Amino acid sequence: MQPLLEITNLHAGIEGRDILKGINLTVNPGEVHAIMGPNGSGKSTLASVLAGREDYSVSEGSVVFKGRDLLDLAPEERAGEGLFLAFQYPVEIPGVSTANFIKASVNAVRAYRGQDALEPAAFLALMRERMALVDMAPTFLSRALNEGFSGGEKKRAEVFQMAMLEPSLAVLDETDSGLDIDALRIVASGVNALRSPDRSFVVITHYQRLLSHIVPDVVHVLHNGVIVRSGGKELALELEERGYDWIRAEQGSEV
Amino acid sequence: MSTDNFNDYVSSSFERLERRLNGHVNGPLHNLRRRALRQFIDVGIPTRRMEDWKYTSVINVINDAQFSSEKGAPAPAPAALPNEDVYHIVITPEGLDSAPFEADGLTVEVLTDELVIADERVRSTIGAILPIDTTPFVAMNTALHTTGVVIRITGNVTKPIHLDLIAHDASPDPLPSPRILVLASEHASATIVETVRSNPAAVLLPVCEIECQANAHLHWTRVLDDANNRHISAMAANVYGNGSVTVTTCIVDAAFVRNDVVIRLLEPGAQGFLFGVSVLDGQQFADNHTVVDHVMPHCHSEELYKGVYDDGSTGVFNGKIFVRQDAQKTTAYQSNRSLLLSPNAQVNAKPQLEIWADDVKCSHGATTGALDADAIFYLQARGIPKAEARRLLTMAFAMEVLERVPVESLRQSLERRMEQRLSR
Repeated sequence: MQPLLEITNLHAGIEGRDILKGINLTVNPGEVHAIMGPNGSGKSTLASVLAGREDYSVSEGSVVFKGRDLLDLAPEERAGEGLFLAFQYPVEIPGVSTANFIKASVNAVRAYRGQDALEPAAFLALMRERMALVDMAPTFLSRALNEGFSGGEKKRAEVFQMAMLEPSLAVLDETDSGLDIDALRIVASGVNALRSPDRSFVVITHYQRLLSHIVPDVVHVLHNGVIVRSGGKELALELEERGYDWIRAEQGSEV
Repeated sequence: MSTDNFNDYVSSSFERLERRLNGHVNGPLHNLRRRALRQFIDVGIPTRRMEDWKYTSVINVINDAQFSSEKGAPAPAPAALPNEDVYHIVITPEGLDSAPFEADGLTVEVLTDELVIADERVRSTIGAILPIDTTPFVAMNTALHTTGVVIRITGNVTKPIHLDLIAHDASPDPLPSPRILVLASEHASATIVETVRSNPAAVLLPVCEIECQANAHLHWTRVLDDANNRHISAMAANVYGNGSVTVTTCIVDAAFVRNDVVIRLLEPGAQGFLFGVSVLDGQQFADNHTVVDHVMPHCHSEELYKGVYDDGSTGVFNGKIFVRQDAQKTTAYQSNRSLLLSPNAQVNAKPQLEIWADDVKCSHGATTGALDADAIFYLQARGIPKAEARRLLTMAFAMEVLERVPVESLRQSLERRMEQRLSR
């Protein structure tokens, strides 16, 4: 089976500072990988590099997505290829309604894939169906994207966008941050509804609690820019119990 | 052309105009013209040494108009109001291009000495709402205007009034100066859309005076959407108890614009709203000069001007708010926001608040910046190509003003024009 995503010896940083120092990660179709780690370990940098944020530079290594060199693609091309990043801090876009944004986004991705734009009526029906996955009221469609949304509403809007774009790989960057228990459950059930044998997830999180809702196949621990340990879902529970200090202690000589 | 030469030009234009006028050489309008000519000759064409013209050099623009031998294509039909049922008032340098008329709540007449003599309200407003010493161009317009129109709004005018200003090629006058007086009676209301059809050889110098009586409501939208537009205008509105005047200036395309707008809130409950959006590129220039004068208590004003500047274009915003000693309980808000799409574009923004009353709420703010890089990336991450992301965000920036245009079809056509501009 060809892996969906293959990261090999990835080194990357920002403003001359090295943050990722040799990441190796293979994600197969349908798998859910969790990446955990203390603050500053490089979790969000990995998400940003995968999505193609310009201010990060890659100094070494490769990322192959569906057999293509991902690092060679513009962010919009990565989205077209089926990569989706759920942002830790979704950006407020005043003056652009959620409906118009989703329409521009979906049609841009469809155009990239050589598909026609959706008919307005079919599009509206699809939006309503997918909003229901995360319990979003249709009134959000006419509101400016993310503007004045609560923390939970922003994260639900991210999962709604994911549902509309139907990616092959979704990277969730601390989607649980700033969520109360109820919002967490709604977001997680939205994600679970989208799980399928040909869709993979990389769930980046600091805490175990999201992973009791979105149960991962593999858990990786990121520390100081490298994956220092990988295991099954029990690893997350162990981290929850023992904290990150023992990982730090194990890696002590390098810190 | 030097100031002296230009004075000679204005004087000789005035003499030519005088020869054309039949009788009434001592009529009140003619006397006003004479005083205005003296005023203009005294002050001359504004230079950058004058505080209000510090960023705006007009002499070259005027010179281009004078000496240009370039003849553009005939002025096109106005595209700004597609398929809209309107009262169409066409004003050319030669006169009113339609017979004076009367319709439901609306009367349109030509401004003449006879009318000024016969009508006390016209007499007390013409040259009084915008006195000849307001700017040199008000003086020049008052002296030289060849077409004056008086628009009376006496009821609820349901169809938009389209003021179609034409400075076309056939005109011998490189500086057409239409004069417009709008008199809105108590409880009257109307929506006015002003468009301009210009050509590269002309600079249009319109002056509009507005009297908005108690409980009357006027919404004036000015549209400049032709790269040939060179436009130096002045407008002032006197607003009385619980009346309101809204002026929305949409500069979608224009070579050179200087707009002076004054709103005076003269009785309690009067309201003034000033909105503007400019989208410029190349070497285009737009200067919005506004004054909101809170004279009496319990009045409200709001001002929002936004500009999108690409290439080497330049924007100027000067917003004065006066709150007089009697104007307690005033609320006055002003905001000026500029988006610079190029490192060579520039904006000069100057808010000026003078407040003599002590129980007021006033605020002003000016921001200038580039598009938000995080927002561009967010859109790209959702599959939207960078150029389109920039256009979408720029349109969103401009829409805050565009969405206030009260005529639906006009708003849509302006939106399309703006999208086309941002795509080129």
